[in-house]
Formats: sequence, structure tokens, C-alpha cells
Amino acid sequence: MIIDKETLQHVASLARLEITPEEEGPLLGDLERILGHVAQLSSVDTSAVISKRPAMTELRSDEPSEGLTREEGLGGAPAMRDGFVVVRNVMGGEDE
Amino acid sequence: MSSGLPRTLEQYRHAVRAHELSAEEYLEETRQLIKRGDPQVRAFLHLRLEAARSDAQAADPSSPLAGAPIAVKDNIMMAGERCTCGSRILEHYVAPYSATVVQSLLAAGAIVPGKTNLDEFAMGSSTENSAFFPTHNPVDPARVPGGSSGGSTAAVAAGFALGAIGSDTGGSVRQPAAFCGVVGFKPTYGLVSRYGLVAFGSSLDCIGPITRSVRDAAIMMNVMAAHDPKDATSVKRPHVDFEAALQPTLAGKRVGIIRELQGLDVQPEIAAAMEMAREAAVKSGASIVDVSLPHVLSALPAYYIIAPAECSANLGRFDGVRYGLHVDGRDMTETYSRTRNAGFGTEVKRRILIGAFVLSAGYYDAYYKKATDVRQLITDELDAALQSADVLLTPTTPTTAFRIGAVTDPLEMYKADVFTIPANLAGIPAISFPAGKDAAGLPIGLQLMGPRWSDADVLSSANVLFTALGGES
Amino acid sequence: MTTTIGLEIHVQLATQTKMFCGCSTAFGDEPNTHVCPVCLGLPGALPTLNAEAVRLATKLAMALECEVHEVSEFSRKNYFYPDLPKSYQVTQFDRPIATGGSVPIVTKRGARSIRLTRAHIEEDAGKSMHAADITLGGETLVDFNRCGMPLIEIVTEPDMQSGDEAYEFLRNLRRLVRWLGVSSGDMEKGAMRCDVNVSVSPDPTKRGTKVEIKNLNSFRSVKRAIDYEEQRQAQCLADGTPILTETRHFDEVQGTTTAMRSKEASNDYRYFPEPDLPLLQLDPAELASVRAQIPELPWEMQARFERDLVLSPYDAALLTEERSTAEFFQQTIALYDNAKKVASYMGTEVARLLNERGKTLAETRLTPEALAGLLTMVEHNAISNTASKDVLPLLVDTGTTPMEVVRSLRLEQVSDTSAIEGFAREVIAENAAQVEQFRGGKEAVLGFLVGQLMKKSKGKANPKLTGEILRTLLKS
Repeated sequence: MIIDKETLQHVASLARLEITPEEEGPLLGDLERILGHVAQLSSVDTSAVISKRPAMTELRSDEPSEGLTREEGLGGAPAMRDGFVVVRNVMGGEDE
Repeated sequence: MSSGLPRTLEQYRHAVRAHELSAEEYLEETRQLIKRGDPQVRAFLHLRLEAARSDAQAADPSSPLAGAPIAVKDNIMMAGERCTCGSRILEHYVAPYSATVVQSLLAAGAIVPGKTNLDEFAMGSSTENSAFFPTHNPVDPARVPGGSSGGSTAAVAAGFALGAIGSDTGGSVRQPAAFCGVVGFKPTYGLVSRYGLVAFGSSLDCIGPITRSVRDAAIMMNVMAAHDPKDATSVKRPHVDFEAALQPTLAGKRVGIIRELQGLDVQPEIAAAMEMAREAAVKSGASIVDVSLPHVLSALPAYYIIAPAECSANLGRFDGVRYGLHVDGRDMTETYSRTRNAGFGTEVKRRILIGAFVLSAGYYDAYYKKATDVRQLITDELDAALQSADVLLTPTTPTTAFRIGAVTDPLEMYKADVFTIPANLAGIPAISFPAGKDAAGLPIGLQLMGPRWSDADVLSSANVLFTALGGES
Repeated sequence: MTTTIGLEIHVQLATQTKMFCGCSTAFGDEPNTHVCPVCLGLPGALPTLNAEAVRLATKLAMALECEVHEVSEFSRKNYFYPDLPKSYQVTQFDRPIATGGSVPIVTKRGARSIRLTRAHIEEDAGKSMHAADITLGGETLVDFNRCGMPLIEIVTEPDMQSGDEAYEFLRNLRRLVRWLGVSSGDMEKGAMRCDVNVSVSPDPTKRGTKVEIKNLNSFRSVKRAIDYEEQRQAQCLADGTPILTETRHFDEVQGTTTAMRSKEASNDYRYFPEPDLPLLQLDPAELASVRAQIPELPWEMQARFERDLVLSPYDAALLTEERSTAEFFQQTIALYDNAKKVASYMGTEVARLLNERGKTLAETRLTPEALAGLLTMVEHNAISNTASKDVLPLLVDTGTTPMEVVRSLRLEQVSDTSAIEGFAREVIAENAAQVEQFRGGKEAVLGFLVGQLMKKSKGKANPKLTGEILRTLLKS
């Protein structure tokens, strides 16, 4: 078994997804099969492979460019106050 | 007006410039077709025909696209229009800016009649994963148009647009083009800007043209291919006129057949079409060569690790804080989960979970790192193969369009991408062009791939075979 | 008891635009007005790297004697937080732009070199204001102006052993970033932020449990937090309370640290290479050019001033606090060759005036030429030292030359002996009592008489001559 219930729930919480009890079984089944299929890569010998990522050819010059107004950028936000975006209090959440 | 309506971009442009037809008149014809046909095909998620009419009135016949209707897949941003990505999480989202490619098309005289349907966030091969409704293949409405750009290919096939743009991450322009009997081109990665394309698999995604003929695809590429400073993966290339570069023959070209793909199960009519293509190639002066890609069958598993990994990060921004669907919870964590749960469909969730899994501590090396190494291996093999062949010829898909609802197993759906995925992994240009029909009258598509930056050659070679095998149907 | 301290410092780079988009980095404007699709994490947006941010980061890394890597890579660090729009931060994980390096410090314990582990560039998140700060109850307000600001993160080896050492490290780092023009280094404006890792162990060969401290708003807070934490951990060790690996929050008011939450082991950031940014490849020719732009470092210059110019440690430190001050000093001594005098004058008279005016040297109109001119005039007795103190404020405020000021105020020192003699006779006539005392043997009274003469001459009389002439007259 590649993925069990605990791992599924752990991964789901990392991705901020909720898995309902009804979804859990079928999802586990699907993921197990998909991961089982892709796990065949372990038999491919990649010891001689050298990564060849290209490099950036030019960087952006440090000159201000036109952005969006607050309305354009955040007009669809569910909650705003005095120009700020409002969310539930996150004290005790992730670090800054 | 001439005897029949223009059926290709090329014909349309000619007619408009010869004052036989105006953009407004053509748009009106198109509007009628959409009105009559789209309730069945359901290619569009949103229409903007009123706005398109004023655009058409202002169209300049001397511009490259001369007011031609070009549909845009609904994961590509167009300012002032909704951009749902086929998802509930963006159901009411209105784009505040336009993708670079959309800006280029508009500046070149394109008129956008509407945004087309897709599998949610471009994840799928049938457009059945759209959160709103499936699109129906215009050739046979009981069947899928393919995906994820099914709305765009259906629109072009049904005459609702003279061309369209879609996105291709694992075959999402080519496969639906094959199913609908139109041309779908995936350019070299970095040739066309991705700025404004809602990201799915960032290192794989390409925007590509969908048209009735290969020449039309070249016409659109002349507008779409440009370096974009807003996209750091966009590459500056010497200017090419893709239309002028179309050659009439394959004289001196080496057409490669991939050994390791020969054993795959393929619908008999598709195998027959491959044979006809080989003969046509030889007749046109090409030689057939046998090439080996020892690890080509590892492309699919590598893709289904890399694409989900990238998408799991790319879809993190859909959290209901700044835009999109928002469902409240007791605290922030619950708000995130409820929003994303309500907003994402099953396939999207599946891929995000796979992606988060293969990147997580303890699994990264065995899955993600391994997959990127395999990707490099396959890329190296393709590059080597494309030294002894100028283009590689394969079917686009193992089967023709299947029935809506027929394929429910996700893994089975993934396996249909076996021919298209390698080009995305390697970032090389690939095109699907129509090559006849099967016994049930369903379109067959064949694929040509070429070396990186040989887009003009791939279009040229495809044009020869496309013409030889019947051309625009 | 051994204390082991490591620091993680985020320094905001002094660019015009953000790290990955062209939005302005200007401070203090209305919330959410410096935004665009990229820094708001809108669908379809893509990052583009700021060339100036790379240049400044490279300059700093070189000055810190890091190994600068020609090829480095960007990574995505994935986590959910409202001020992180993409739900990932673009940073550098596996292949940072620089590794190694060091910063010298001097404390009561002596001179030490604090080693660095690495330095990398990344984007900042937005700013969250929690309900504790405002009367909003259960809400957090987010401003994305700061989101995407360019940062360089510097991680030290756990080489520091006291709050003092950490304080000195931060002071020196701040001095350096300002010296190079890489950052304003203002902790109050958030241009420099610091997290601390502290562990205490009774056994010098074994490191204790590592505790992280966050929410430190000044260098002083850093020191206070470390000092408190040292005590707390020592107490725990003494009475057997287990020390938890955790993140603690520093309370400015109480001067204490309190547990925030246990460090979630499940904080899996799932780092992977950023597909939207190709590799960063630095051009060797440009690197050489950046290296050539690095001036003598503040601590190098400070040591040189002490060693070669024989300045006091206090003066040397003061003069190398800001680069503009050091340059001013160097330009002055190029014109007036007495380093000690210049240093002393700058450290006393000039410093006092700047303090009164609430200005920095660069903000005044005093020029090296003017200062050199003034000191030269005093040396040649053209004006008295006392008179020079009246001239200085005008040089500072108006930027005129000393010659002009002296003329306009008629401060030319009177060295004409007959004129002084004239004043002297008046002073002797007017101060019979003191004259008696002096003649009676009280030497000190001469000073009073000199002062009286200076008053009469409105400070212009040459004090040395004055003393001599008075003495001669008094003795006769």
C-alpha cells in the first residue's frame, strides 16, 4: 500500500482540502492505483542523467510599471475594510 | 457575396480584403450558427456577441486577422470577461487584465465571440470535467469533443469561430483537435507567452492555435509567437514568417516512426491512417526512418507526477481571500478547506492530492525528483532521435472520440495521452492534423513532432500531409 | 552554562520595484495601492526577476565574504496564510545565491568572527494586522503593498554566545547594509527583521534544545529576549522542567518570552524548483564590476583609523558609523592634515550641533572644504578656537565659507599686540582685587583675567598672546 487513510488526511490538510467520509474510500482507491502506476518509474535507471534547465537571458530593469488599482485588483474580494482585505483572525497560525 | 461562406481564416481574409465580405457580415453569419448550434454543442461558457458586433464594425481589413472570430478557452484571461477555468471556484470571476496572447490577437484584428468550455483547470481529456456542463462533439453529439480544450475545438469544428486558442499541457489542444477533426498545434515551450494563462503545469503548459487548416494555424502563429518580457520562460527567437515558410513538398525530409510505440493498441482505422500518411510522405519525397525512444513509455507516469505536483502549488492561490468563491468556516483553516472543497471538482482534487503527496517529505526523491530525471532522460532521447529524423509521425490518440460518460476510470483517461505527452515533457513543437475518418465517421488525427524551435518546419510538413490526406473537411 | 545563538535576518533590498513585478516599493502609502496581478497572486500572473535586487544582493554577499554562486535556482515554499497570495513564496532552497561568509564583532568578550551559513533572495509576504492591535474582534486585516518586496535572507551559524554578541552582530550588519546602499536597515520600518534561535546547555560539548523567538522589533529587543531566554532555560535545567522545541513570542512590555504554539512537525513546505523562473546565471564580468564597486568596509576603515591615524576607538567608531560621515572625514583630512584634530572636532562640536539640530551630517550644508578651512584658520591664529564655535553653526546651516562668516561677524582674531595691550591695561584697571590675588601668588586668577579680556575683545583676542601679555603687565 502506497497511501493509507492517515497519509491521505495529512496530505489533504497540507493542501487545505476536506475529504468527506463518502469521498475517502473511492479517493483512496483512485490514488492508490494512480500512484501505483507512476511508481513504475523507480525501475528506470537515471543515474547518468544530468539536469539541463536553461538560464534566464535577461532580467527586468528596476523601473516602476503600471499596476492595478485597488478596485481592479481586489474588487472581487469577499471582505474589505478601509482598503484592507479582511480575513478571520489568524493568530497562532503560520509564521510570517 | 461569394458562392459560399469562407471556411478558413485564409479564405475569410481574402474575401474581406477583396471587399466581398465585411467582418460585421461574417460575424452575423457566425452568430446565427452559434444561436442554432451551440445549444446542442455547448462549446461556449460565455458569449459576448453584442460587444463582438461593435468590435467587428471597427475591424481593420488590412490587419493580419481582419476581424475574424477567434474563440478563447476560458482559462485564458480577457479583461472585462469572466474567466471561470470551468470551475465553481471562479464561477463569477471577472478578469482585470488580458493575457499577452489575447492582447496580440486583438491588436491583430481578431474578434472574440466568447470564452469556450474546458475540463476544470484544464485537467482532463474530454471536457466532461467542466463544473458547468460537458461540451458535445459537433460530429456526433453523443460523443466527447476531447479535452481539455474541447470547447475551442468544437467551436472551430462547428463553424462558431474561424480559429480558437487553447492550452496544451499533456495534449489538451492536440487530442480534442483530433477528436473534432480540426488542426491543433502545440508550439515549442517558450515561443508563445503564458502570461495570462491560468497555470496548471507551469513547465508543460503551452497556448496553441486551433484551426480548420494548417495554413490557418501558421497565420495565427504569426500573431501569437513573440517574446514577452512578462514571462520569464518566454524565449527571444529570430523572427519567422510561419505562413511564408510553408513548403509544398517533403522532399529530402526524414519522417521518423517511433519503434517503442508500435506495439500499442490503436484503433484499426487509425493504424490505417498512419499507413496512408507514410505513403503520402514517401510520395512527397520523404524517407521513412525508424527511431528508438527507449523510455517513451515512461513519459506518461513521469507526467502524472510532474503535472499534479506543479498544479498542487498553482491552485493554492484559490483560497477565497482575494477573489473567487468564499465559504466561511470557524477559523481560517476551516475557511480555506470549505472554500476549496466547495469550489474544486473531483478530478482537480485528485490531482492536487497526488501533487501534494509526491512533493511531501519522504516521497519527494522517489517520486518528484525521479520523475524530473526521467523527464530529462526522455527529452535527451527525443533530441537524439530528432537528429536522425526531421519530424516524428504518430497517431494523436489511440481511439477516436468516445461516448460521453464512457470513460470513468481516471487512470484509463490518463492513458489516452500516451502519444501527446512526450512533446510536453520535452518542450518540443507538435501538431495534430485531420487524417480521414473511422468507420463511424468520426475524425482521425495524426501527429507530427519536431525538434525544439522547428515550429515552422513542423507546420510545413503537417501542411503537406494535411493537404495530401484531404485537407480541410 | 553555554548559550548558543543563531540568527535569521531578513533585509529589504533598496530597489525601486518589487522582486518579481514592477510595483513600487515606496513606504507608507494607502493599503493595497501598490499591487498588480503578480504580487496579488491573480490567476495567470507570472514572476519576472528584478535585476537591481540581484545586483544589491550580490554586492552584500561579496562584502560579507560569502561564496557567490554563479548559478542559483528559485524554489517554491508552499504554505497557506492570508498574506501569502499564491499560497507559496518564491525563495531559494536547494541552490541559494551565496553560502558561507562572516561578520566581525567586538564586545566585552573581545573580537570575534561570526560565521554565516548562507544568504539567498526571496519575496516578502503581505502585512497582517491582527485583532489584538485594533478593536475589531476576531479579524485580521491584510495589506499587500509589502507583498513581493525584495528580501535577502541571511542565516548565521550558531556562533553567538550572548545577547550582547547578537546585538553587536545586528548593529554591524545594519551598518554594512547602509554603508553599501543595499538597504536602509531600519528595523522600525521593517527593512530589517530578525528571528533568533537560542539554546542553553550545561555541557559545552552538547547543544541544548533549540528554541525560536519571533516578533523582535529592535536590536535591543533581540538582546533582551536572548537574555530572558537564557535565564528561563537555565532555570528549567536547574529545576528539571523540560525545554520544548518551540516558537516563542517576545513580549516588549514584560520583556519575557511566551510559547506561541509547538512547532508543527506537519509544516511540510514541499519545496520544489520554481518552474516559472529559469536558472539565475550571474555574468562573471558583471560580478567583477559589482566587486569593484564595493568600498572599504566600515570595520576595515575603523581599524585603519585606529591603527594608521591613531584615532581613539570611540572616534574611529563614530566616524565609521555612516559612510557619508567617513567620506566627509576623509575629504576633510585631505585638505587639513591633522586627523586627530578633525576627528576630535567632529566628535565634539560638530556632533553636538547635529544633535541639537536633529540632523545627520549629510542633511546639513557643512562641507569638508568649509571644515578644513575653519580648522586651518584656527591653526594660523586667524581666529580663536572660541570664535570658531560661533562660526560652525553658520557653516552647518548655510553652507557659506568660513572666510565669509568670519568677515561678516568680524571675528578676525586680534593678534595685534598693541591692541591686546590696550585691552589688558583696561582689564587690570577694572579688576583690582583679582590683580592683587595674582600678584599675591594665586596663578589661577590669570584665567579669569584672560576671560575678561576675551569678553572685551568679543572673543577675538588671541588667547595665547593674551595670557602672555597680561602676565608681563601684571608682573611689572
